[in-house]
Amino acid sequence: MEYPKHYDVIVIGGGHAGTEAALAAARMGSQTLLLTHNIETLGQMSCNPAIGGIGKSHLVKEIDALDGAMAKATDKAGIQFRVLNSRKGPAVRATRAQADRVLYKAAIRDLLENQEGLDIFQQAADDLVVENETVTGVVTNMGLRFMAKTVVLTTGTFLGGVIHVGLENHSGGRAGDPPSIKLAERLRALPFRVGRLKTGTPPRIDARSVDFSVMELQPGEDITPVMSYMGKVEDHPTQTPCYITKTTASTHEIIRGGFDRSPMFTGVIEGTGPRYCPSIEDKINRFADKNSHQIFVEPEGLTTHELYPNGISTSLPFDVQLELVRSIPGFENAHITRPGYAIEYDYFNPQDLNHSLETKFITNLFFAGQINGTTGYEEAGAQGLLAGINAALRVQGKETWCPRRDEAYIGVLVDDLITLGTSEPYRMFTSRAEYRLILREDNADLRLTAQGRELGVVGDERWHFFNEKKAAIAVEHTRLKNTCVRPNSEHATVANKYLQRPLTREYTLEELLRRPEISAKEIAEITGKYDVRPDVAEQVEVQIKYAGYVTRQQDEIDRLRKNEATALPEDFDYENISGLSNEIKQKLLSNRPATIAHASRIPGVTPAAVSLLLVYLKKKDLQAKAAAKLSA
Amino acid sequence: MSDYFPDTIAAIATAAGKGGVGIIRLSGPESLDIAKRFIGFNPKPRHAHYCPFQDRTGVTLDEGIALYFKAPHSFTGEDVVELQGHGGPIVLDMLLNAAVAYGARMAAPGEFSQRAFLNDKLDLVQAEAVADLINSTSETAARSAMRSLHGDFSQYIDSLLKQLIDIRMFVEAAIDFPEEEIDFLADSQVLQQLKNLSNDLTRLIETANQGALLTEGIRVVIAGRPNAGKSSLLNALAGKESAIVTDIAGTTRDVLKEQIDIDGMPLHIIDTAGLREASDAVEQIGIARAWNEINQADLVLLVYDATNEAEFDPRNDWQELLSALASNDRLHLIANKIDQTDLPEGIDHGGEFPKISLSAKTRIGLDLLTSHLKNQVGYRSNAEGIFTARRRHLDALSRALESILAGTAQLELANAGELLAEDLRVAQEHLGEITGKFTADDLLGEIFGSFCIGK
Repeated sequence: MEYPKHYDVIVIGGGHAGTEAALAAARMGSQTLLLTHNIETLGQMSCNPAIGGIGKSHLVKEIDALDGAMAKATDKAGIQFRVLNSRKGPAVRATRAQADRVLYKAAIRDLLENQEGLDIFQQAADDLVVENETVTGVVTNMGLRFMAKTVVLTTGTFLGGVIHVGLENHSGGRAGDPPSIKLAERLRALPFRVGRLKTGTPPRIDARSVDFSVMELQPGEDITPVMSYMGKVEDHPTQTPCYITKTTASTHEIIRGGFDRSPMFTGVIEGTGPRYCPSIEDKINRFADKNSHQIFVEPEGLTTHELYPNGISTSLPFDVQLELVRSIPGFENAHITRPGYAIEYDYFNPQDLNHSLETKFITNLFFAGQINGTTGYEEAGAQGLLAGINAALRVQGKETWCPRRDEAYIGVLVDDLITLGTSEPYRMFTSRAEYRLILREDNADLRLTAQGRELGVVGDERWHFFNEKKAAIAVEHTRLKNTCVRPNSEHATVANKYLQRPLTREYTLEELLRRPEISAKEIAEITGKYDVRPDVAEQVEVQIKYAGYVTRQQDEIDRLRKNEATALPEDFDYENISGLSNEIKQKLLSNRPATIAHASRIPGVTPAAVSLLLVYLKKKDLQAKAAAKLSA
Repeated sequence: MSDYFPDTIAAIATAAGKGGVGIIRLSGPESLDIAKRFIGFNPKPRHAHYCPFQDRTGVTLDEGIALYFKAPHSFTGEDVVELQGHGGPIVLDMLLNAAVAYGARMAAPGEFSQRAFLNDKLDLVQAEAVADLINSTSETAARSAMRSLHGDFSQYIDSLLKQLIDIRMFVEAAIDFPEEEIDFLADSQVLQQLKNLSNDLTRLIETANQGALLTEGIRVVIAGRPNAGKSSLLNALAGKESAIVTDIAGTTRDVLKEQIDIDGMPLHIIDTAGLREASDAVEQIGIARAWNEINQADLVLLVYDATNEAEFDPRNDWQELLSALASNDRLHLIANKIDQTDLPEGIDHGGEFPKISLSAKTRIGLDLLTSHLKNQVGYRSNAEGIFTARRRHLDALSRALESILAGTAQLELANAGELLAEDLRVAQEHLGEITGKFTADDLLGEIFGSFCIGK
């Protein structure tokens, strides 16, 4: 039957991409359906129980700046919070939280169920309805047809999923869940370029069988941070520590002994894993001279004894898994609750997408998350949010949107995928962002919230909160600029305690804060009474400290702005541009870059080639004008 | 589109050569400011001002005429300033260097014409010409820049690049993977490596500035069958000016090199004897070298005997040569020995390749050849000479050094690893102008190849 209600947006998949997509579309006023094969696993963290980390927390904060779910849920589920790179400068500082799986899922479920305009339906999607190369609906496995203006596909590792433990393997979407075989077959019949990737998880361990006394304790931060800009420490559940242990020489020997039964080394797994080492056997194989590896022992939650030993992801046979786990200090008597495994799955070459994440071949069909070759909850959530926004914009008949590389890590992520494609599971690192000093954790709201409000994805509460903060920043900035410290004054005596040379002339507080020896804390001490909100004080400090570098990056961005704005027509005739080498022609033809700037980022496209493109664009433009004149 | 380009470009606008006039051209919004710093006052639009041109320290580099063309009434449609001096490659190079110090950027090959076209200063008919110019000049520029600096130069650059990547690998790994047990930044090794790198870079820039790494000129290969008259052509060209600079290197089976000088334009003439016959190992080496010369050549003159005009077919007889040359526009035919035929001297552009008919023996048509050579190789007014190409490299090196020093200071004074990382990224971008792009993904590849990372 055909379901009587017709939707604006259907989202297939209830993982991190799917939930953000569905919530975003609904926030923007679209009638949205979230189609999942199992309502109980909505918002499931299928891999490690942590959110954030370097590069990743930046994405979470951006999702939050656009009023998404991930940071809010993390604040309600986080059982240990840490700030990484805390001594290295604010641009690369990153918040990371261990999350209780049950609490996280509950927080996401709560947001979904209370979102106006969002329906949830439990049924596996088997087929897409495609008419005239435009998607118009979805068919479930019991033959139910849901019609919609747009469809967002977020099927993660479920497409053609194969789970490997040793040389044994079976179909599966995630341990305990069925894969989407029918849908995979259906999609393979469409003109998308398909590849195989692999990822893996470690065996889980029962905490009651572990001796923590021989491990290093890793507590959370003394001053607990929050993930959401609107988050409060009071929202956090009880905090609990993690532990660190290490592999031993005998662990390595046991693992080497299992190489002949490893699906990775025996060629059973065809999919490409990442260049960084996700599995312990990979680490020991590639870095044979390293005789120990760290393992972070992370609790899975407050209401379970299960532990996630981060660092020993493996697809070795179970007997080897058990033996290797028990060779690790503290795990001598460990009981494994679930075996580790590797999973191979289909992904679609993201070069077949536009920056809106709409597919190039099927109109109104969007792809987000692991299906595009990425790994990680944060990468998935960011894409889901973007796809949801763009599906809703499409329904409204508006231009699609994607932040630029200098505006957001979301922009870096999508641009990298679309420009370069990926041959390994793509993970965010801060080194991927050329404007790292601008794209900070602390200013994602300043970068994106106003844009989000304009798009309609940011709600009233956040908008008011944001405006208050922005105003407070301006006030504080003015105060620092206009408050002077005179030499020999009372304030100068305090300042001189920290300065290498005492003040000899009048300084504004802003000038003082620019010095490496002075931070916001010292400014507070110098001026005495200080009632500025901590997030505001931090923001102003960072802006002042980085001002020189930020200006330089901004100049670079401004120089390239024109190239970003110069569109290359989709049917641009690269074949007939004389002077372009065949290699460059091929790259441009297969990539079909959207703008001049996009073209210039394709590896191998030279500055001279970009100049030629500009000249030919202009020529086309002149020809069109001449033709218009003739016909007039 | 007239505001398409926010920066100001500079280049030498005249043919290199001794004597005559040498022009530096500036185009872009800061042209007027830069001119003012050269001459000390604001030039009036379309007035010729005779004045000294000074560098930042007040030293007069040259004297001549400054011309200012106010946008949009200029060749490029932007503010344009021309400094016309006495010329001479060294002086022009110094003027260009000063322009860059004043805030201009070295123009990319063909960039002036490109701007003119994009700013509606050229019509549609000229579009192809602009495209060709960008194309040919970037090729010539790349070739001449590589060659303008001694072979050792590229080795130095490679080793500097390796040092830089090595440091970046540590710095970026420390930032992106703080939980991987080692804090690379706290390691004093990084500071030492940074100092070594900036020392090496400084030394390289100094040496290059002194000219020690500079070889000048364009490279012309003379090819042809043994009896076609290659040697007599070589002698005729060399004998025309008594300016033979270098001696003959190698054995008779090796390539022969001569450096000659035509109107101040240095030419390396390479005679590839015995290109087609290899009967022993020594000859094979000679032939391999000959092919190498051909690959690097700016021009290949294929000499044949005009008395056999009817039978000569380069497509058939010289297939291997044609396929060795990436673009056919580097090949020119010389019909020699016209004194033994009734053919007239002259240049024929009608065929697939330009053809010059001459007699090396009687010197008929030789002037045509020399002026043709000058026209061909980067000595057209818009194309760039060797000094520009070299200056662009040195400029990139200086800017890389500046960034590395700034980053080192950030690490030393403020322990700011993320700012060091930013400065090193910029340094790599400058070096990349010489060595080609090195992407963030390349860097991650280096990191994952060197450190065991991932949990």
